[in-house]
Amino acid sequence: MALHVAPAERVPGIRPDYLLIADCIPGLIGITGPDGAVESCNRAVLEYYGVTLEAIQGWASSKLVHPDDIPGMIAKQKRSLETGERLLSEIRLLRADGVYRWFQIHGEPLRNSRGEIVQWYVLQTDIDDRKCAESLLAGEKRLLEMVALGRPLHEILNSLCAFVETTVPECQCAVFPIDRREQRFDKGFAPSLGTAYTGPLEGVPVVPASAPCGAAATHQTQVIAFDIESDPRWLASSYREHALAFGLRAVWSTPIVSRSGEVLGTFAVYQRHPGSPTQIQRDLIAQFTHIASIAIERTQSEETLDKLRSDLAHVARVTTLGALTASIAHEVNQPLAGIVTNASTCLRMLAADPPNIEGARETARRTIRDGERASEVITRLRALFSKKTTTTGSIDLNEAVREVVALSMSELQRQGVTVRLELFPDLPPVKGDRVQLQQVILNLLLNASDAMGTVVDRPRDLVIVTASDGADVHLSVSDSGIGFDGGNPEKLFDAFYTTKSDGMGIGLSVSRSIMERHGGRLWATPNDGPGATFWFSIPQVLQARRRTG
Amino acid sequence: MTAAVLVSVVDDDESVREALPDLLREFGFAVQSFASAEEFLASGCVDETRCLVLDIVMPGMSGPDLQRELTRRSQPLPIVFITANEDSTACTRVMDAGAVSCLIKPFSEAALLHAVTKAIQAR
Repeated sequence: MALHVAPAERVPGIRPDYLLIADCIPGLIGITGPDGAVESCNRAVLEYYGVTLEAIQGWASSKLVHPDDIPGMIAKQKRSLETGERLLSEIRLLRADGVYRWFQIHGEPLRNSRGEIVQWYVLQTDIDDRKCAESLLAGEKRLLEMVALGRPLHEILNSLCAFVETTVPECQCAVFPIDRREQRFDKGFAPSLGTAYTGPLEGVPVVPASAPCGAAATHQTQVIAFDIESDPRWLASSYREHALAFGLRAVWSTPIVSRSGEVLGTFAVYQRHPGSPTQIQRDLIAQFTHIASIAIERTQSEETLDKLRSDLAHVARVTTLGALTASIAHEVNQPLAGIVTNASTCLRMLAADPPNIEGARETARRTIRDGERASEVITRLRALFSKKTTTTGSIDLNEAVREVVALSMSELQRQGVTVRLELFPDLPPVKGDRVQLQQVILNLLLNASDAMGTVVDRPRDLVIVTASDGADVHLSVSDSGIGFDGGNPEKLFDAFYTTKSDGMGIGLSVSRSIMERHGGRLWATPNDGPGATFWFSIPQVLQARRRTG
Repeated sequence: MTAAVLVSVVDDDESVREALPDLLREFGFAVQSFASAEEFLASGCVDETRCLVLDIVMPGMSGPDLQRELTRRSQPLPIVFITANEDSTACTRVMDAGAVSCLIKPFSEAALLHAVTKAIQAR
């Protein structure tokens, strides 16, 4: 830095070389009175505030501080005055061009012989770049945490926009994910512009002529519209009118690209006056576009995974139920036979001379009862076969067990299996998907039955027990079958591991993943005697204390 | 039709034991029903029974078990098996063992009457 003014001329009485040192230090140095009024300062101070020494002398230093930072600064000054401790704080100071920048303030008090503070020597160091980087990092960290915690995509992208808007002054933002199969823009997210802005853009095809976002996505490159009003590329596009209606002039669109190079969407930054992004803004945009890509990619892979899980659970369910075909036919045919028999009897009783009205009425009643029985079976089956998405509700596991046993009873009887239920009375309800939990129970039941298929020297006993320990509800299915043959029971839960000639080996693996998604566990233990026991536990729903009386 | 002809029904399903005897009585038969094979064997109706309507799958002694037991006792009754399982091998097996018919539920009254009549004539 060239010093044009001889320091000696400025501050009489101070050694010129000290003034030279003060002027050469890359920081703002000032001397204030005990009340904070500026008495003297180095050259950097005058340059930063854009004033002369005469003008600044006597200013209260608070005049230069960001209004939000004044209360904190006053409190710290007061404390330093009382205790005589060094003043240390971080505040924003107003630069000559009207921009506030962050400074770290070091103030040392000078005392007279009586110990009273007569002056403060203050060093102000510009930490604005560091502060910016810190706040950026904090913002990034928060967004990535949201991604890691599996927050919904709309929440993450709205937060991302809001954060960029607070970081880059005078800008507004939007994220537009792309439906890659349809090559159209999905529902966009722009918290400050609102759905009135994003709504009409939903479903717009991804083509260059539609809007800067269309061009950015198509060409996989950043597209800067300095002024959308006059930009020749979109003069004919309806987007131009739409943007202008929202007062937007500068439109900067950046493609959001996945790791594999696919365009997932676009990140748009707008200004209400024409302009191009500065280098800092470009860097910011690049950084947050990257975070948007992580968020979208992660969410999409979660969705794909969820769908796969649900498909697999359905396949496993249908496979399991396939083993029950005979049993199901039995359950349906039984009441159907009743209907046919009773209706035939009824007709005959009516046709008799004289007609047996009372008998006919009774058989008609039985016909209805059997019809209802058949329809209950169908309802149960429909629930188990349906491919609806997970619905969570409060479930009585005892009831769920009884239904599954009713459906499989005939199959179990055919296998010569005797079923014993030891159901805990007043079992607390659990929360979960009824169909999925019944699928697990059915699976354990049929596995137990299969395990006893070759047993001839002892009864084929199957015992289902439910219990509660106050926190979890437990269910166990014990059989007197062939057991695990000394092997590791955990292996049974590996996908595609099977001991059956006709099994796919997905039943137990899917069952375990269902239990885990219910916050529960599924495991197996060998019995003391022959056979094995499969257990699951699932957190019970906390119940309000029952009123007595 | 002779009123004295006794048809016995053995089925563990209570609704069957309600419905089937009523229809058989409408046909003009005398009917006794039993919830298990053991109950039937102990009833003293075995000798009198001209046709046995028998369920295949039952807990304890099954239909085919009873069929074998009657053969072993040299009391081979004409049997009409009924089953709600569309399991043709089970039907084939009992037919091979000498059953008159094997009806798969639901069956029509005509099929039932035909099978029972055939059983009574077979004696």
